[in-house]
Amino acid sequence: MKKLSYLVSAVAAVFAANAHADVSVSGSADIGYLSDVTGDGRISMGSGVVFGLSTTTANGIGMSTGLSVTVDQDADNAAAAGGGQSMTFTTGGATIVVGDVELGDTPGSVGGTVGNLVGDVGQFDSDVRTGFKDDDGTGVTLSTAAGAATITVGYIMNDNTNNSVNITDATDTMSSFSVSMPMGNFSISAGIADHDNGETASGASVSAAMGAGTLTVGYSNQTLNLTSTASGTYSVSAASGLVGSAAVTDTDLAVNGDSEVIGATYSMSLDADTSIAVGYQSAKDADSDSTTRFDISLSRSLGGGASVYLDMRTLNGDVDTNGGGTAMGFGTAVSF
Amino acid sequence: MFFRVIVLILMSFSFISCSKGPLNSSNHQANMEKLDKIYGKCKNPHRQYKPIERKVCEDKQRAAGPDGVVGDPIDITEIIDRVRGVGGNTIAVSDTNNQLWDASLQVLNGFSLKITDYDGGYIETNWINSSNLPDQRCLIKSHITSQELISTGVKVKIICEKLVNDEWYLSSESFVNDEKKLTLKILETAQTLANT
Repeated sequence: MKKLSYLVSAVAAVFAANAHADVSVSGSADIGYLSDVTGDGRISMGSGVVFGLSTTTANGIGMSTGLSVTVDQDADNAAAAGGGQSMTFTTGGATIVVGDVELGDTPGSVGGTVGNLVGDVGQFDSDVRTGFKDDDGTGVTLSTAAGAATITVGYIMNDNTNNSVNITDATDTMSSFSVSMPMGNFSISAGIADHDNGETASGASVSAAMGAGTLTVGYSNQTLNLTSTASGTYSVSAASGLVGSAAVTDTDLAVNGDSEVIGATYSMSLDADTSIAVGYQSAKDADSDSTTRFDISLSRSLGGGASVYLDMRTLNGDVDTNGGGTAMGFGTAVSF
Repeated sequence: MFFRVIVLILMSFSFISCSKGPLNSSNHQANMEKLDKIYGKCKNPHRQYKPIERKVCEDKQRAAGPDGVVGDPIDITEIIDRVRGVGGNTIAVSDTNNQLWDASLQVLNGFSLKITDYDGGYIETNWINSSNLPDQRCLIKSHITSQELISTGVKVKIICEKLVNDEWYLSSESFVNDEKKLTLKILETAQTLANT
């Protein structure tokens, strides 16, 4: 009888040893109409295609990378190539990404529900700064499980580089740690991040099923360094060359200190194809600028990879000129 | 710098050790799927996405809707006809999910098939023999029971027989684990097909 198991094992092994390289292509396109915060009407279109390259070794280790061609929806752009700067190793029990990685520098920050059209094209400009000056670079992340908990650790060796780094001379490092785990009827995510330049972040969010949907509440605290940029007017003179005045002015954060973000989202499905989500976020930074933000997002699947959506965001508080108000957009997205 | 890299490597090994080993997929994948349900796959804080990958992911998520299934396109003409009361043809729809069907065929591709019935969602291989074990043979049955891509939508059964005195006798041995492996492989392949 034992031998019979060998035959079945041999049959099953056919599937386990079915290692092969794979090239997949996926993409999406998105077009929508938007009334931005200034009341201007905009039509914005973006698209992208991602070429995924992957293989699985005979002992089950997956290796993948991907390259992309993108037309960014945020502004009037031509197609641009990208990606290919990191490689992902999956062992089933762990996922390791090496190369250009982005670490979570706003753990616990929730409250955003709108898509790219309203969120990025809507011309919002808050005076509250959240998030590190730089949170991506050449590094490594590891995501794995410890019982019911999912753990991710990340380390950036140099945030000034992407796919190639001199480890010996690198200085601008960043590290992060995050954990998510169920606790009774709740799911808790918490994380910390630390940058060489003194910036740190910590936060947590709690999710729970409530009514017909899911409620997520989060708090994030970030100790940030002030930002400043040179601004002014310049002109070229034949007699004296470049002339003009320059002033170093604060953009969003005038002093070093803590930024706090409190937010919540509630999402639910209205039927098998329709979902709605609302979000609220209150943010305050070290120079006492503060904003409140309200999001609502409605989306319906049309089948065949297409969907239509309606997004709206309202931002009030300390904002730059014409940077606050309400933006509303609707459009259609199709994925391939 | 060197110290931090060493600490990171040591932490990585300790986490992997605590996670039932690097080749154990059960906990990590199950945990990630749970987090996908809570945060949405595209906003899961433990997944690494490039901006364009996140955008494609969000568009796919919106296209799939809350049930996670990309349905057939809406036929506007059909809706108008329905409102006008025109037509009225009855169309028999199979209960077989396309991705699960294609995945079953793909997974069983290495064996000759005895029965392939799409409407019933049923596939059965011919007897599978091995030259090393001439006194044994097995066959695989796959039955798709759902129109949607769900984990309980496919059932796999392995039947084996043993040759005794020139007569084939049904084995009473249980192959539950191997059936589970095959089921998971079909579901994994179906998910890949659904994502492409």
